[in-house]
Amino acid sequence: MNVQIEQNENQYRVAPAGRLDTNSAPQFQEALEPLMQAVQAHVTVDCSGLEYTSSQGLRLFLMLQKSLSKNGGSLVLTDMQPAVKEVFDITGFSNIITIR
Amino acid sequence: MEPRDERGLDLHCQCILDEYREMLPVFQKMQEIVVQQLRECLGRFNILVTAVEARVKSEPSLIGKLQLKGRKYRTLADLTDIVGARVITFYSDEVDKIAALAEDVFEVDRQNSVDKRKMHELDSFGYMSLHYICRIPESLYHDPAHPEINEYRFELQMRTALQHVWANINHDTGYKTGVEVPHEHLRSLMRLAGILELADEEFSRLRRQITDYRRKVQGLVSSGDFSEVRLNGDTFRSYLAIHPFERLTGRMAAINQAEVTPGPVYAYLPLLQDMGFRTLADVEAMKAEYAEEAYQLALHQLGGTDLDIISDTLPLQNLCVCRLLAHGAGELELARFFEGVNGPGPYNMAQARRTMALYASLHSNKS
Repeated sequence: MNVQIEQNENQYRVAPAGRLDTNSAPQFQEALEPLMQAVQAHVTVDCSGLEYTSSQGLRLFLMLQKSLSKNGGSLVLTDMQPAVKEVFDITGFSNIITIR
Repeated sequence: MEPRDERGLDLHCQCILDEYREMLPVFQKMQEIVVQQLRECLGRFNILVTAVEARVKSEPSLIGKLQLKGRKYRTLADLTDIVGARVITFYSDEVDKIAALAEDVFEVDRQNSVDKRKMHELDSFGYMSLHYICRIPESLYHDPAHPEINEYRFELQMRTALQHVWANINHDTGYKTGVEVPHEHLRSLMRLAGILELADEEFSRLRRQITDYRRKVQGLVSSGDFSEVRLNGDTFRSYLAIHPFERLTGRMAAINQAEVTPGPVYAYLPLLQDMGFRTLADVEAMKAEYAEEAYQLALHQLGGTDLDIISDTLPLQNLCVCRLLAHGAGELELARFFEGVNGPGPYNMAQARRTMALYASLHSNKS
């Protein structure tokens, strides 16, 4: 899995590419770590390159959302491939995380 | 005539002023202790107030007081308002509650405390506030280096926000400055005080009625008597507190031995209302009628995956989906429902189509 992060002041754009599963989750978590500490960080995750997410991926998105919101920031997921969106839908995570 | 300094203070008053300057750090410490104790106390008893404020009388203000009635005070200790604290409440019945707490925490000098709320004649209104003259007891705070902290008294005012408004406006109009205000203006001011007193009582009465209503609803909800309970923010919250979807959530979680994470279940309220639900009994009826279908939907969605985390909104989401589709909802209506729970976005129509297709296949398998 490849993760690119761009920062413009307190706006972050995260672009994961590939499969987010048990193997790649630690790498994704490590990439997200600085964002989880950031104050008032507004993060957009461009999911266009994300081919699949497992429960581990859902947990990471949830953890990221909680940290950001605790620190006055926000999280939005965009451009999701249908298979990935289906995972969010059938687990009820579409109710929890903002997807545009 | 006794000699006076350039401020018009005689020797006696100058001594009081010197003592004040020397004791200023003590008064500042007292102010800190009083505010901290009041805040702690209010927090412990979950009493929400508008403000807790305190001040140490400024030197110019003390000089002004000494100029006016310095002879009245033998020592600085006779001035009981060098440290003044004030608690401003939302409701009039909370003034008494705070007074009771203050009696527990501080040593109240009853002889010098005044309940101005009770000082009015039947046909007069005005400044209504409860003033306690207190000491900080040694049991609360003791510093052997500064025993004065337990010796000097302070004034604690307790009043409602409306009493506070009236007191400030009254002060602002110059009523107490000695300038004679025409009778008709004074009368208007007193009439306003009457209105505010009435408003204070009405707010308290309304709060009691709302509390009684909530208690009644909670009683009905916990006894499972939902038919008389209208669906609204309060009742839905009470309903959710009894975990009405726990069994269905457990069944759905068991599909993949999933962890259940809390989601915004409360956000479903407007959607349930849009679906025409008027009472909690309507929600219960939906649960009874569609729980199995909602479970089957989840089973077919999650069963072929290894997803082991779900939101606790999933049972209610699937219940609503099944009810909407059973009542003939089309793609648009279902997409609108998903927009209500997920927020706007380009994906809601796709989710509606996918869900409808699965629902249809479940029904065709059944038949």
